[in-house]
Amino acid sequence: MEEKVLEILKNLFELDTVDQTCSQETCDKWDSMGQLNLVVELESEFDVTLEPEEIGEMKSFDDIIRILKTKGVS
Amino acid sequence: MNYFVFRNNTVERFFPKDFTFSGYDDISHVPSEVDGYVWFYQLPVKYEQEKLCSEIRGFAQKFSFVLAQVDAAKPFIVLTMDEGSYAVPFTSGVDLLSAVFDYNASLAQLEENHSNVKLLDIREFTRQYPVSEVFDWKFWFISQMGLNPRLSKPFAEWFARKLDEIALKRKKCLILDLDNTLWGGVLGEDGIEGIKLGGDYPGKAFHYFQEALLELSKNGVILTICSKNNESDVLEVWEKNPFMVLKKDSFAAWRINWQDKATNIRELADELNIGLDSFVFIDDNPTERELIKQALPMVEVPDFPTQPYNLPIFFKELVERYFRVYSITSEDKKKTEQYKANAQRAQAQKSFVDFDTFLKSLDIQITIEEANEFNIPRIAQMTQKTNQFNLTTKRYTETDIHTFLQQGWKIWCISVADKFGDNGITGCIMLKGDAIDTFLMSCRILGKGIEIVFIKNILSLLKENGKRTLKAEYIPTSKNEQVKDFYDKLGFERVSEKDGMNIYKADLSDIDLSVKDYYHIIVK
Repeated sequence: MEEKVLEILKNLFELDTVDQTCSQETCDKWDSMGQLNLVVELESEFDVTLEPEEIGEMKSFDDIIRILKTKGVS
Repeated sequence: MNYFVFRNNTVERFFPKDFTFSGYDDISHVPSEVDGYVWFYQLPVKYEQEKLCSEIRGFAQKFSFVLAQVDAAKPFIVLTMDEGSYAVPFTSGVDLLSAVFDYNASLAQLEENHSNVKLLDIREFTRQYPVSEVFDWKFWFISQMGLNPRLSKPFAEWFARKLDEIALKRKKCLILDLDNTLWGGVLGEDGIEGIKLGGDYPGKAFHYFQEALLELSKNGVILTICSKNNESDVLEVWEKNPFMVLKKDSFAAWRINWQDKATNIRELADELNIGLDSFVFIDDNPTERELIKQALPMVEVPDFPTQPYNLPIFFKELVERYFRVYSITSEDKKKTEQYKANAQRAQAQKSFVDFDTFLKSLDIQITIEEANEFNIPRIAQMTQKTNQFNLTTKRYTETDIHTFLQQGWKIWCISVADKFGDNGITGCIMLKGDAIDTFLMSCRILGKGIEIVFIKNILSLLKENGKRTLKAEYIPTSKNEQVKDFYDKLGFERVSEKDGMNIYKADLSDIDLSVKDYYHIIVK
């Protein structure tokens, strides 16, 4: 799952390199529009539904992994 | 291609990356340095039917206001509104249907009078999906999406295809084969009575196809024939077969003989004095089609359906691709008369000639309020989320704001309502002593001059309370370019400039603090 998420972040935010420290702070294109695109990508890739509360908390690679794990994605 | 999109909801996802976007329902800024424009207003979400309908009708006036300002040589792609975008009780009645109808009809009328306007019917796209897929309430509430973000890929494909169709040159003339194209069967073998036209299937399908072609010719498309037959047989059919919709008079010219079709088509082009690139060749025989594709590559040669029951679909694609008579336009044009009374009422209600008149008609109510227990959560949230209209982009928590107030900062927020609804708290300003620490406005409220009213009111308040001078700063980020000269425009004096960061000071007695009298302002 980690690899897949990194790949999504890299493509979506047009990054040259990406690692697990990736977050809204470090990533210029991760704005509100980026967040929306990210949600749609993650939902379709992992076949999950992200709740608005979770979307609000999702500000870094670590957050994404934590939230996906609570949904049984491994 | 750099197009600018006017919109009332979040639509960035649906368009190519190099497109740029207006603020939400913001028509105050019409950029000129773009290749073209898009108008994409979606069905607003609100329950009160009367407001909903008047807002929709108002969109047509806004479009016409924008259209008057753009270069008539630049394309303006206009999307219709889908009255069934989402489904809720109370707001799907006749009033709503008629408001959306009026809006779409107004767009169609503007298309007719402006050659750069191209109308696309969004319903052609949305009708492929059930309502539950077209609209997702989660994405409405978290991102103000009026169209499900999951549909962005098919939408982008549909939109690109439509742009291609628009870019194609309109053709002038159809070259039609006869046997198994305008009727079923082969005239030379089956005879006048034996060919299939009218009556049961498949004759019924060919009859309907001829009716379609007749309509097309009434719309100005020239019909011709190129067929391998005996001319005398065909003349006899035209005279004697009662089901023949297209007769001798329907055709501008024909070549009915045994010569090869490429030569015949060249002759037709000469006779009619029309360039070969204006012809579309229709023939059921793939060998003939291949010959023309190779011999006359400038002639368009669409595939012909093998099943006669597919002729209506073939005809629709033919028209959309080569003769650009958008179904929505022609349909709505006809109905326009019938609904003219309605539209005129709407126009009288809503027409505005300049921007001031427009703003005045909105009946804008502004409430300025000091920070308190109830609005602090929203103020903190705005500092976290606002990127574009944010002079310093400082992010604060609720606790931070409580602390600031204890330290004597002055903090105000602004709520805005107009006749279309209440936008709630949409901006704030924070003063630390005599320095403006934060000034921000939510982007959905921009375009109505409210940011100016807000800051001028605060400056007036400070002046009344004995403040003489103020300091302010602009800190650049990748998102807040649009406010880089906000303080300059306001009349502040720029005292220093470093790495794009500007420091200002202002003498309050030198600043013009007047505001237009059509804003109704309450200071709490």
